[in-house]
Formats: sequence, structure tokens, C-alpha cells
Amino acid sequence: MIKHIARKEFTDVVRDGRFRWCAALVGALLLVSLGHGWVQARQAQGELAAAQATAREHWESQGEKNPHSAAHYGIYAFKPRLALSFVDAGVDPYTGTSVWLEAHRQNDFLMRPAQDATAAQRIGALTAAHVLQHLVPLLIILLTFGALAGEREQGTLRQLLATGVGRSDLALGKALGIAGALALLLVPAAVVGAAALVVGSPGPAASPLARAAVLAGVYLVYFAAFVGLSLAVSAQAGSARTALVALLAVWVVNGLVAPRAAVDLSRWIHPTPSAVEFARTLEREMATGVEGIERPDQAATAARLMAQHGVERVEDLPLNDVGVYLQESEEFGNRIFDRNYGALWDTFERQGLVHEALAVAAPLLAVRTLSMGLAGTDVEQHRHFATAAEAYRRDLMRQMNGDLTENSRSGDFSYTAGPDLWAQVPPLRYDAPTLGWVLNNRLLSLLVLGLWLAAAVLAAAAGARRAEVA
Amino acid sequence: MSEVVPIDVPSASTAVASTPVLEARALFKRYGDVEAVAGLDLRVGPSEIYCLLGPNGAGKTTTIHLFLGFLEPTGGSVHVSGLDVAAEPLESKRRLAYIPEQVMLYRNLSGLENLEYFAALGGRGSLAAERLTDILVGAGLPRAAVQRRVSEYSKGMRQKVGIAIAIAKEADALLLDEPTSGLDPQASNEFSELLGRLRDRGVAVLMATHDLFRAKETGTRVGIMRHGRLATEMSTDEIGHADLERVYLEHMHG
Amino acid sequence: MLLRTVLRNERRLLAADPALRIALVVFAALFVYALANGMVWDRFQARTVEAARSGNAERVRGLAQELTDIANGAQPSSPFRDPRAPIVLGGARGAHTAVLEPGPLAALAVGQSDLLPYYYDVSIYTNESSFQQNGEVENPLNLMVGRFDLAFVTVYLLPLLVLALSFNVLSEEREQGTLALTLSQPVSARGVVGAKLAFRALLVVGLAAGVSLLGILATGGFTEAGRVLLWCAAVSLYALFWFALAAWVNSLRRSSAWNATVLVGAWLVLVVVLPAAINIAAGLLHPLPSRVEMITAQREASNDAVNRRSELLARYLEDHPEMASGVVPDEPGMAALTWAATDAVNGRLEEVTAVHDARRAEQLALIRRYRFLTPALLAQGVLVDAAGTGDARFAHFQSQVRDFAERWRQFFVPAILADERMTAAVLPGVPSFRFVDEQPADVARRAAVPLLVLGGLVVLVSVGAGVALGRVRGAA
Repeated sequence: MIKHIARKEFTDVVRDGRFRWCAALVGALLLVSLGHGWVQARQAQGELAAAQATAREHWESQGEKNPHSAAHYGIYAFKPRLALSFVDAGVDPYTGTSVWLEAHRQNDFLMRPAQDATAAQRIGALTAAHVLQHLVPLLIILLTFGALAGEREQGTLRQLLATGVGRSDLALGKALGIAGALALLLVPAAVVGAAALVVGSPGPAASPLARAAVLAGVYLVYFAAFVGLSLAVSAQAGSARTALVALLAVWVVNGLVAPRAAVDLSRWIHPTPSAVEFARTLEREMATGVEGIERPDQAATAARLMAQHGVERVEDLPLNDVGVYLQESEEFGNRIFDRNYGALWDTFERQGLVHEALAVAAPLLAVRTLSMGLAGTDVEQHRHFATAAEAYRRDLMRQMNGDLTENSRSGDFSYTAGPDLWAQVPPLRYDAPTLGWVLNNRLLSLLVLGLWLAAAVLAAAAGARRAEVA
Repeated sequence: MSEVVPIDVPSASTAVASTPVLEARALFKRYGDVEAVAGLDLRVGPSEIYCLLGPNGAGKTTTIHLFLGFLEPTGGSVHVSGLDVAAEPLESKRRLAYIPEQVMLYRNLSGLENLEYFAALGGRGSLAAERLTDILVGAGLPRAAVQRRVSEYSKGMRQKVGIAIAIAKEADALLLDEPTSGLDPQASNEFSELLGRLRDRGVAVLMATHDLFRAKETGTRVGIMRHGRLATEMSTDEIGHADLERVYLEHMHG
Repeated sequence: MLLRTVLRNERRLLAADPALRIALVVFAALFVYALANGMVWDRFQARTVEAARSGNAERVRGLAQELTDIANGAQPSSPFRDPRAPIVLGGARGAHTAVLEPGPLAALAVGQSDLLPYYYDVSIYTNESSFQQNGEVENPLNLMVGRFDLAFVTVYLLPLLVLALSFNVLSEEREQGTLALTLSQPVSARGVVGAKLAFRALLVVGLAAGVSLLGILATGGFTEAGRVLLWCAAVSLYALFWFALAAWVNSLRRSSAWNATVLVGAWLVLVVVLPAAINIAAGLLHPLPSRVEMITAQREASNDAVNRRSELLARYLEDHPEMASGVVPDEPGMAALTWAATDAVNGRLEEVTAVHDARRAEQLALIRRYRFLTPALLAQGVLVDAAGTGDARFAHFQSQVRDFAERWRQFFVPAILADERMTAAVLPGVPSFRFVDEQPADVARRAAVPLLVLGGLVVLVSVGAGVALGRVRGAA
């Protein structure tokens, strides 16, 4: 029975001129955005990889110099574009792409692609994720709003129920029919996306195919929730027109109002410092230290070392006291950076939680969070890379200061190291987080999305059961 | 459309002497291949109640819509108080009142508010609420219902608001499209009385109806329409109930 | 007369219809929320600007103090940071903070102000890569989504209110049967629809403009009437465009449901799909090279420059004799060599930037051309431009900062090359940045074409609707 209803609904929908037009439009946008994203991601990743190689070359070919000079020269780290970023660019255009790893300071990521764009471009970014999050639900609404309300208006609902069809069977059949119609659009897009990933992955990622599979699952759940919700509204609404208006209102709140409202709300609940404030605090703490984090003192370090080695003059030390002092001030700085940057990142994450929590009002927020997470383009994975780059910087500084300490003597400012030392520093290798890490970070969104699906299924079933026949 | 049989228009003796308020001259209205009105000549003078009889599709409603300017004639012309409707659509509508078959009103407004609105659109925005209430009550609406929302009204009550709208306009002519269909007999009688009062004031009334009995009772003249033209026209004084029915049936089958 | 009658009736109808009342109240709430957000952001920026200014003043005071102390025999805090050295005083230590004040209408549209820097520390080292610095500290997620400000509510949501109020302005009268009675009165369908829409337009434009003016009053005041006028014109014309479109769709005499579908489709295409499609087209036709190569170029240039400092200095002195009064070319100081290398790097960066900017200009030209495809982009452009948070005002600021950096160098470089010693007496004469806001006429000129096109669209669609409505005679 369900099969017949589904088949009828499928045929009905697919023969509908409106569906064809809308589906063609959405399908075209989906393919174009996938293609554009893929080309762009590959190009960007190519540039980034080349720049990273050049940066390494610069590092290795910097010639003979004091290790501390080399530390000041430093090296640039470029954030790679991950494999699935062509599906969902996420926050990537709004995070910097590169960071200068140098002595004494943790720098900000610079070169945000969005800074090169115009205000007009900010209102109309189009990625496959946008199409999936915004336009496919709209298509679902257009397909579904009349599913039950329309049958009632035409009087066919009475006829249908008179044949003895169960009401929940009816709803399920309709849902399956609509799902079939959507599959005509989504399956080819998924195949194209997967093929693009296999043929020419734009960038590195841990288990990209597994991530892609989960991504597809997340979107399926989202769409299923929308189908259920639309059926529920269609069953309860007085007329097809009322159903359409109500569903469009849901769509606007879900896609437009809630996401933006979340931005300002998250800023009110968890304010971030201004750049001036942040820089000032950092500067002050670096100059004077804070409670529990004392700024090292060069003379005290020297005195301690002399006492340890039982010598009277720094020149008699079997090491260079400046190297030890430099490393101590690195470590002091690192604790200050961890305090300040850590607090900032934590604020960002708490703001992200506000977005995630508001998903109870707008499922898009949950899907968006999961989509960016799986594509590796969310704030947390930016932080993951930033942390890796910073850890690399700290290792680099430790090596430089270690070399200075061990291979030169106090007071010897003419010491230089050479390409051997530079080559000893391992290149920056970044391992993107695993799928498990991502999902573990996103339990709230997974839960909320699951709740939406459950609520939608229950609402559709209840709606079909209680729907008035005429 | 079948070939139009030439008919003998009987006894023009009752033809209007004074200037007609409503006049159709060689009026045609064609929809594609269908002639809804085919060469209609019609004149209704002051203080006349002209009843247009005829089967469905004879062109009665089309004729009324042509007088209102809702439709554009494909040939001939319609005139209201001497004004060509095509040339002066608004000025001619100012002289017409119209009660459709189903009087539909703003459901969220009261009868009085509806009347106020339509009266104001008709150029009588200066009428005070008390006066409008009197008109509504005069048209047969219970005084208690005047301030209630139209969504609570029966069909007959809505019809009365329609009548009040027509009365308030103080127009030269009144066009009615099946005004008594769906009204109970008492309401229909009240309605006929009302038309009589309007006639006494010199209003020209053109009424499309199926109701032969009421046409004989209320009308001063009847015209039987068929295939878009007048098959015959007669004064109600000249003819009895039975005769009217016979003539009507003759023309229907003739 | 007709207008007054219809307005009165519409007011009654509106008062009696809870759904429309709720819609209006919801929109009023959205407007107020948007305005509140804008005002919070405006205050935040004002505080930041104040902090940047006071930080600058404090820095200058500190330098003056140290210079005085040194003159009185004290030791400099560090030999590398000796403020007597012009390369230090003109460098990062003595940098001058150039500030862009939020415009008088900044609370209405956040625009680009959350993304682009509105202050720069200018020193002799200021170069093209300085303009790549980040703006305000902001969560990238929030940057991606964008703020809930009045510009957003106007561009995205206002059309929906307009459509909700007017999609069935004629079709409903026909469907509920009142059209027959209405048209039996001496009025035309065009007149009635016009009056009904005028009432709704008054409501919507009144609401939008009212909240905007409230916001302007509460923040900057009416210091720049021109910007206020442009803002109100853009809001009004954009709203009128949607009213005109609704009138036209109604004039086609289809059902309310059909009207609703078509109008929502139009909204979707014009507001959501077309802007995105235009951006994709721009990206495909004129792909922008990433700024990554800027880093590589800078590195290579500075590696090269460090090795050839003496040579570069000699060339620099040849090229800039005006900077070199009092220089002893045979014994260049360390600072002079550093400056020569810095200048060479800056020059190389300018080359890289010029190539990049040329390509960017192509992309922007394309977007500027294609924005005429949709009123949404036209309105959005004028709104942020009028609010002073669009790209133009930031570009204006940047170019002034560039000029200022040049003045700064003119002041310090000769002293660097001559290896002079600076004293506290120099400080009052150091260049100081003052932002000169755009001429109102310039803003108006930029907005003129989009506004004219928007107005033209309104007239065109209205006339089309008027002609089609003129043909509506009967109730069928």
C-alpha cells in the first residue's frame, strides 16, 4: 500500500512543471557550486602547498647566522585547504591563511580572503553547503505543502481514506514519494561530489571518504526532518495556502533570521575584547608578567647558572647563558599567550555553543555546525591548526635556543650555525583531526539534529492521524 | 450559436416616452465564437422596473456587466442617463447602483463599516453614521446586527447590506442580478416592496431574474432574452401570470 | 477622496485581521532588535577608537618623558629602542595610530566594519602588507554569517513583509467577492489597488524609515543630512519596488496562491540566488590570485635586500636626493642601510600588490556591472555606502593612510639617512593623521546611478502594473 502511495506521489511530483523548474534550478546551482568550489579549493591548495615549500626553502637557505637571528627570521605556516572544503568553505574565507612563526611572539593569522571581497560578495556566497542548507529545504517545502492540505481541498483525501489506507501509511508513502523525487536531484550531486573527491581531492584530510559519508548522512537527516515537518504542517493547516505561508515562515526563520540573530546574541552573551584591548593586555602582561607567571630576569638566570656550575663568571660557564634565558623568556611568553589566546579561543567556542544551542529553534544551525565540522572548515579546526602551528613554533624556538646554549659560550656573539641546523628542524606536518574528534566535539549538534528528526517524524505521524478529512 | 430567428416585437405601445436612463443600442458582446449578446436594443426609463427573463446563458448577466462597464462591448454601445459607458466609465458608474447575485462583503468589518466604505467610494462619504444606520434598518437589517461583523451574517442579511449600499448611493438606475435567489419568500416580498419604493422615487431598475412570478408582480415591463437578444418585450399590465409563462415557454422552445 | 476612503477602510481591515497585526508587530520587533545590535556595535567601535587614540597619546607621552630623561642624563631603556634614533621614533615604537571614526550612520549597517581594520599604526615600516592586517578581533563564524543589522533586515526581510501585505491586494477582493461591489462604484481597479498599496507602503516605509531615523537620532544625530537622505531613499525605493512588483503580479488576475508562489519565487531569485550567482560568475571569469604570493615576494625581497643593502642605499640616495640632505654617503649608518632595505622590500610589495589590485579591479567591475541585475544588490550597496560602512569609505581611509605614511617617511627618512639624534622638541612637529571624511557629493554621486536605476525599475514596473490594472474592469 505504502508503495502505491509513494509511487503515485513520485509520479505526481515529477510531472509537476513547478518541481521540474525548481529542481533544475537547484540542481544546476548545486553542480555549479560543487564545481566552482572544487576548482577554487584545488587552486588555493596548490598555491598554499607551493608557498609552504618555498617557505621551507627560505628557511633552509638562510645561510650562516646566529640561531637566534634564524629564530627571528622564522618561518611562515600556511593553513592547508582540507579535502572537503570544496563542499563547505565554512569560515575559511574569514580566517587568515598564513601565520608568521617567529621568536618571542605568537602572531595572528593574516590574509583573510574575505578582506579582498566586497560587501556585495558577503551577502551572496554560494557553496554546495548553502544550496543544501537553504535551497533544498525550500524545494522540499514546495513539494510537500500541498501533500495533505491539497488533497483535502480537492476532496481526494476522503476518497483515499475510504479505500482503507492507514493514515500513517499515507504519510509515510507521501514522504517516500517526495524522497524519491528529491533523490533524482541529490543522488547525482552526491555521485559527482564523491567522484571529485576520488579523482582529485583538493587537499589533505583524515579519512575524507568517511567524513563525506557522514556528511551525506547529516544532510539526509536534515532533509528527512524537513519532509516530516512539512507533512505535519500540511496535515494540520486549514488550507494549502496556510500550509505554504507557515512553512515559508519556518524557512525564513531557519535560514535567515535565526543564524544572524545568533551572531549578535552570542556577542552579547560572550563578548570578545576589542583588538586594541587584546593587544594592550598582551603587551602589558608580556612586559610585567602576571600573578603566578613571573617574567624571567637575565641576571638572575645567569646567577643561577653560575651557582649550579660553581663558577664566578658567565664566561666560565660550559654553555651560553643567553640561550637559557631566551628559552626561559619563550616559555614565559608561551604561558602569557596561552592565557590570552586561549581565553579568546574559548570565548569563540562559547559563542559557537550559542549558535549550536539555538539549533533547537532552527535546525539549520545544527546542520551547518556539523557540515563545517566534517568539511574541516569550522572555527575549532582552525584552532586545531593554529595550535599545531604554534606548537611547531615553540619546538623551533627550543631547538634554536638549545643550539645556542650548547654550542656557544656566554658572551660570544659571533657564533653562527649553518644549513645543517636549519635542515635538522623537521618540516611542518599537519595532521587534520580525525572523524571521531570532530564528532566528539559536535555531540550537541548531533543530538539536536536527532531531536529534530524525531520531532518531525512524530509530528508528521500525529498530524496525519488527526488531520481532518474534509 | 444557432441562426437568430427574426421575432415580431409586439406592441411597442408601452415603449418609454421620456429619455431612457439605461439604454443599449445594437449591443454585441462576443467571446471567441460565442455571441453572448447579439444586437440587443434595450431602454429603461425612470420609474420603470424592467425584468430581464431568459434561460441560463441567454446573456442577462452579460448585459448587466456591460452596463457596469465590467465588460467592453464588441459592438454597439451602452448608455446611462445619456452617458456612453465606454467613454465615461466612472461618471456613468456614479449614476448606477448594483446588487450582485451574491452580495459579498468584508467579513471582518461590520455591516455599517461596509456600508460606510462603499458609500464613500460611491461619492457619498458625507453621510453620517446615524443616517447610514437608518438606511440599513430601512433595508431590513435588524438594528442589533448593524455593528456586528459580517462574518456572522446570513446570506439574507448580506443581501440587505447590498440593498442599503444601493439605496445610499441615490443613483439614477439600479442593476440587479438574480437578487432574490436563495432568499426566503418573506425576504423576497420585502425586497419587492423596496423596489417599489425606489421606483416611486423615479429610479430606473433593471433586474435579471428567473422568477416569472416575481417579474410579473414587481416589474413594470418584462423582456425575454434568448441567444443574446430580446425575443419579446411586454408590459406587465398587458399580460396575466399564465400568459407570461406561456409566452416564455413558447420562446424557449420556438 | 478615493485615497482617504480606501485608507480608512484598510486601516479597519488591518485592525480586524490578527495575522497582519502579528506580522507588523513581529517586523517592528525585528527592526528594533537590528537597531539595538547596530547601536551596540557602534558604541563598541567608538570605545575602541577612543582606546586607540588614548593609547597613541600615552605612547607619545612616554616617548617625550624618556627623551627628556635622556637629555637629563638618563640611559635609554634599551639600546635597540633608543628613541633618539629616528628609525626608532619613526618606527614601531613611535608609530602613530591613524583612526577611522565610525560614520554618523554606522549603527544602521555593520557592513564591512567588522571585517576591515578601522585603525592602523603607521610607521616608516608601513607598506602594502600592513593593509593586510586583521580588523577587529572577531569570531570567524560571526564574520561568516554576518550581523543582524538594519541593512540586513531591509534587504532580506522587508520584501517579505511587503509581499505578505500585498500579494493578494487585488486577488483577495476578487476571491472574497467584494470586487464586484467595489467596481460597481465610480472607481477604477487601478485607483483602488493604488490606494490600497499606498496605505501599505505608508505603513512599511514609515516603519523602516522611522526606526532608521530613531537609530540615527540615538547615535550620530543628523550631522550628515545627505547620508540620511540617501539611506531613506534607498529603503523607500527598495520597498516600493516590491510593492510595484506585487501590484504587477496582481494585475495578471491570477489566484492569491499563484501570486504568492510567483512573488516568493521572485524574492528568492532576486535576493538569494542572483547575488550568489553573480559572485560565482565573478569568481569564475576573473579569479583572484590569493595574497599568499605576497608573503613569498616579501621574503624574497627582504632576503635579497639584506644582502645588497649598501648597493640599495646608494641607489636610493640617487633616486631621492631630496631625502638625502646631510648624508655622508661614504659612511652610511646602520639605520640608513636598514631603511634602504626596507624601502626596497616596500617597492617590491607595491609591484605585487599592483598586479593583484588590477585583477581585483576587474572582478569588482564585473560585480558592479552585474549588480544591476537585482535590486537587492543595488539597495544593499547604497545602504552600506550611505551608512559609511561600505568598501568605498574604507578605501578612502586606506588611501589617506597611504598618503599619511608617505608624509611620515618624508619626516623621518632624511633624519635616518643623516643619522640625526631626535629630542623631545621634535615630537610636536611629527605628522599627525586626521581623517577627512568623504565629500557628501561624492557619496551622492556613487549612489546616484543605483538609486536612479532602482527608481526607474519602480516606475517601469508600476507603469506596467498600472497599464495592466487599467484593463481590469470586471470582477472576473
